[in-house]
Amino acid sequence: MKKKFFKKIILNHPKDNVATAKSPIPPGTLLPFLKEGRIIAKELIPFAHKISIRKIPKGSPVIKYGERIGKAIRSIEPGELVHVHNVVGERGKKG
Amino acid sequence: MNFLGFKRADGKVGVRNHVVILPSVACANEVCNAIARKVAGTISIPHQHGCAQLAFDAEQTARTLAGVGKNPNVAAVLVIGLGCEVVNSPMIASRIAESGKPVKNLIIQEVGGSPKTIKEGIKIAREMVSYASRPRREKAKPYSLILGVECGGSDACSGLSANPALGVTSDLLVREGGTIILSETTESIGAEHLLARRAINKKVREKILKIVRRTEMRALDLGLDIGKANPAPGNYEGGITTLEEKSLGCVMKGGTGKVMEVLEYAEMPTKKGLVLMDTPGHDAESVTGLIAGGTQIIAFTTGRGNPLGSPIAPVIKIATNSPLYSKMRDNMDINAGEIITGDKTVQEIGEKIFREVFRVANGKLTKSEIWGHREFAINRIGPSF
Repeated sequence: MKKKFFKKIILNHPKDNVATAKSPIPPGTLLPFLKEGRIIAKELIPFAHKISIRKIPKGSPVIKYGERIGKAIRSIEPGELVHVHNVVGERGKKG
Repeated sequence: MNFLGFKRADGKVGVRNHVVILPSVACANEVCNAIARKVAGTISIPHQHGCAQLAFDAEQTARTLAGVGKNPNVAAVLVIGLGCEVVNSPMIASRIAESGKPVKNLIIQEVGGSPKTIKEGIKIAREMVSYASRPRREKAKPYSLILGVECGGSDACSGLSANPALGVTSDLLVREGGTIILSETTESIGAEHLLARRAINKKVREKILKIVRRTEMRALDLGLDIGKANPAPGNYEGGITTLEEKSLGCVMKGGTGKVMEVLEYAEMPTKKGLVLMDTPGHDAESVTGLIAGGTQIIAFTTGRGNPLGSPIAPVIKIATNSPLYSKMRDNMDINAGEIITGDKTVQEIGEKIFREVFRVANGKLTKSEIWGHREFAINRIGPSF
């Protein structure tokens, strides 16, 4: 199983640039994960929502389950909430 | 693992033993309801269709109704038509009769109106219930089981807990020789490459890509964005951001097996193992397609909470997160939220669902059955004229 469970987040696949909140994460929370380090939640991450664990430049893919789930419509810093305000899907609509 | 079921004339095995009063057309709904109210042990399955339908659309409705009647969970069927409709009751009854089970047909215009048809129907239904109450459950092998895997009201936990756990269940049942039907083509958009990679041959691979492209093009041709309806508003609130994210979680329910064949809506599988059915992301329509394809049990994951059932098949509800399980416990059969909290592994919950499938096959009622949930919706692929 490639999935990694940390104290407050779940990282589904090593390629992912987002992780899932296991419970609501208040802003300022320190989130240790893997060896590569730690991130600080920049804002409230609601239960089951995604937090960026790496910088995602504007226009580049957002990766969950090791697969592309959409692209960033603006640059996303580590620790930010990743949702419909900064990510857009690319399927099932005119490109 | 074996189970105890009802052996049918065509060799299939039911996990339930229903007598169905089936309207071939919407105009016969109330006559069917009246008969079912009067005769204990029968259920009517009202629906909106059967009239003013053309070609492939009429055929899909006919296939769905006949498939529901043929489902091994059904012991006997009384089909009632009005008399002037396209999807007529003699045709539905003769298609159901191919399964060898008792089928009768009444036409309201021929019998002479509602009260006379109700009176005649009650007599037939009474005989069918007497017949259906005779057989006892007998030992059956798991290869007789078709499990439909479904998700509805997903959240961002679905792809982390309940869906991969149900994937474990699917792999276990396939190993025992059973069949899994994975449906909801809309929720394969963005994950179709993962399914196509597991196709048993080129033909199946191409059909997987074809049904996904066909579904996506239906929206594109209308100039519409599927994302306005699927993911649904509740999916977004639950943390799902895009259709691709939802799809990647959705397809995990089928497990990791080879895809053996791709079925049209309401078609019966000809292969064992993992098969796909082309259904929409509308849960009631998708579950209806599955039962028409011969599915005896549905395993249904939900993150937002969904009480949906089916008139003839038990639906096992699996919560993706513990807050939902606590809040809607009256509707939930299994909590996969323990995976999120770290109390259980995906494998453990998958094995738990597998055991529950066999308990339900042996007769244990699901919450959807206890509450009388009988949602039924036929997918239309053409307009009414």
